[in-house]
Amino acid sequence: MSRIEVRSLSKAFGSRTAVEGLDFDVGAGEVFGLLGPNGAGKTTTVRMLTGLLRPTSGRATVCGVPLDGDGEALRSRVGLLTEQPGLYDRLTAEENLRFFLKLHHRDTSESWDTARRWMQRFGLGGRENDKCGTFSKGMRQKLALIRALLHDPEALFLDEPTSGLDPESARTVRESVGELAAEGRTVVLCSHNMAEVERLCSRVAVVKGRLLAVGTVPELRRQTGVVEIHVEGRAGAAGELLSPIVPPCVWVAESHVLRVTLAGGVSIPDVVALLAGGRVRIHAVLPAQRALEDVYLELTRGTEAEAT
Amino acid sequence: MSFRLHRALAVTWKEALDLRKNPGLLASMLALPAVLVLVPTGVVWAWLRHPDAVTFRSMALYYDPTLPLNADPVRFMIDKLVVDWFGIFLLMPIFVPILISSQSVAGEKERRTLEPLLAAPVSASELVLGKSLASVVPAVAITWLSFAVFVVAVDAVAWPLVHGPVLPNGMWLFGVGIVAPLFAFLGNGLAVLVSARVGEARLAQQLSALVVLPLMGLVGGQLAGWIRAGTGYYAVQGAVVLVLDVLLVRASVRLFDRERLVSRWT
Repeated sequence: MSRIEVRSLSKAFGSRTAVEGLDFDVGAGEVFGLLGPNGAGKTTTVRMLTGLLRPTSGRATVCGVPLDGDGEALRSRVGLLTEQPGLYDRLTAEENLRFFLKLHHRDTSESWDTARRWMQRFGLGGRENDKCGTFSKGMRQKLALIRALLHDPEALFLDEPTSGLDPESARTVRESVGELAAEGRTVVLCSHNMAEVERLCSRVAVVKGRLLAVGTVPELRRQTGVVEIHVEGRAGAAGELLSPIVPPCVWVAESHVLRVTLAGGVSIPDVVALLAGGRVRIHAVLPAQRALEDVYLELTRGTEAEAT
Repeated sequence: MSFRLHRALAVTWKEALDLRKNPGLLASMLALPAVLVLVPTGVVWAWLRHPDAVTFRSMALYYDPTLPLNADPVRFMIDKLVVDWFGIFLLMPIFVPILISSQSVAGEKERRTLEPLLAAPVSASELVLGKSLASVVPAVAITWLSFAVFVVAVDAVAWPLVHGPVLPNGMWLFGVGIVAPLFAFLGNGLAVLVSARVGEARLAQQLSALVVLPLMGLVGGQLAGWIRAGTGYYAVQGAVVLVLDVLLVRASVRLFDRERLVSRWT
C-alpha cells in the first residue's frame, strides 16, 4: 500500500497556478525524488503534502491521513526539512530541539538521548549548549535535519538536505537517508543535485507546473533518449528525412554520425524506418547512455519549447 | 484540531528563553518603567522643595474651584498628580507587550523560522495563547513591580509633608490589579494582529504603538481639567478595553491561518 497517494492535485494562488494535476504514489521505505527547476511547484507540492497549504483541487493521502482531514495527525506523522534551516539563533542547539520535542509531546529522556545520538552522528556532539547563531551553514542544516527526525516520522520531506554541507557531512546525510528508508520510512527528496538523486532515489518525478514524467531513472532514460546512428554518406542529408516526425525531433549531424533526441513517443524503430525509407544505408544504431541531468534538462526544456 | 495546553506552554517556554537572551529588548522593556516611576517621583520631590502655598492653591482651584480653604493645596496637587499619572502609567502594560509580541510574531517571519514551526502539530489558538502569555505575563509583572517601587518612592518623598502614605490607594490597587492586565492584553492583541499582517518586527512595533495616541489624548484631557479621573473612570476604560481584547483575540486566531502565513511570508 502506498504511503503517499496523490491524485489530480492542484494548487493555485489567485489566478496563478503553481501546480496542476499531479498524480503519483510513494511506497513505504521508498526514497522518491522530486525534480524541477526553480518555481516549478516542488515546494508548493511539499507544503500541500505536509499540511501547510490546502490544495485547490484533487486529493492526497499521506501516511493514511487525507489532506483535508486531521491536520494535527498529519503533522505528527511527517517530518519536514525546509530550504532554510529556520533555527532560533539565540537558543542553543539543545533548546531548539527540546522546543520541538515539547510541541510533539515527546520531551522525555529517551527522546533526548535519540536526539543526542543523531547530533553525535552528524558531528554536532558536544555542541548541545552552543547558540545556533554561532553555527556554520552546514551545522545549521544538520541540526534542522535532526529536528525533522525527532518525532520519529513515517514520512520525511527533505528540501535540498545536503545544500551547503561539506562532502563528508553530505555523505553522512545521504547514508542516513538510505538508512531511514531501510527502516521503512518514506523519504521525499527535493534536490537539484542530480548525482545525489540518481544515487538515492528509487523513483523520480519531474515537475514543472505539472507532472512531466515519473518513474525509475532507467525508465525516465527510456522515455527520453538520444540515439547515435552511423550512416553512409552525409549525416545532415539523412537528418532532413526526419522532418515528417511530429512533434519535430532534434537532431545533430557530425560527418557520418546522426544524433537524434527522442521525445513525444517517437521510438528508435520509427527513426530507423524513416531513414531506411529514404534509402539511407545504416551501419550502426547506438542508444546513448545518458545521465539523469540530460534527461531532466530535456524534459524541462521540452515544456519550454511547447510553451513557445 | 484539538487545543492542547502543553503545546501553548511550549511556545511560551521558547519565547521566554528567547526574551531572556535578548539584552536589547530587555533594555527597551525596562527603560519605560524607569521613566514612569522616576518622573512623577521627581515632580513630587520638586514640589516639596518649594511648597509655595499661593501658587499651589491657584493651581488646585483651577482643577477644583470648590476646594475648601482649610485644605492643603500641595497635598491636593500630589493626589491629583497620582490619580492622573495612572493614565500615563497604563502606557507600560500596553507598550511592553507590543515590544515583545512584535518580535515574537513578525520576528518569526524575519528569521525564517515560521515554516518549521507551522509544520509542527501546533494550532493557531495554541500559538496565539503561547505567544500572548510570553508577552502579557512579563508586562504585568513589570507593571506590578514598578507600582511597588513607585509606592515606596512617592511615599518616601512625600512623607515629610503628608506624614502618611499617599499610595497605595483603592484606585491604584484596582487599576494596577484589574485594568493594567486588560491593557496588557490590548497591547499584545494589537501587536499579534499587526505582526500577522506585516513582515517586519520594527514596522509591527511602530504601527501597534499608535494605540498610545488616544490614551495620551485622554491624559491630556485630564491635565486640561476636562476629564476628572478616578476609579469609575478607569473602570469604564477597563470595560472598553476588555471588549477590544476579546475582538482582538478572535481576529488574531483567524489571522494565524497556516495557508495565509505560509503563502505570504515564507
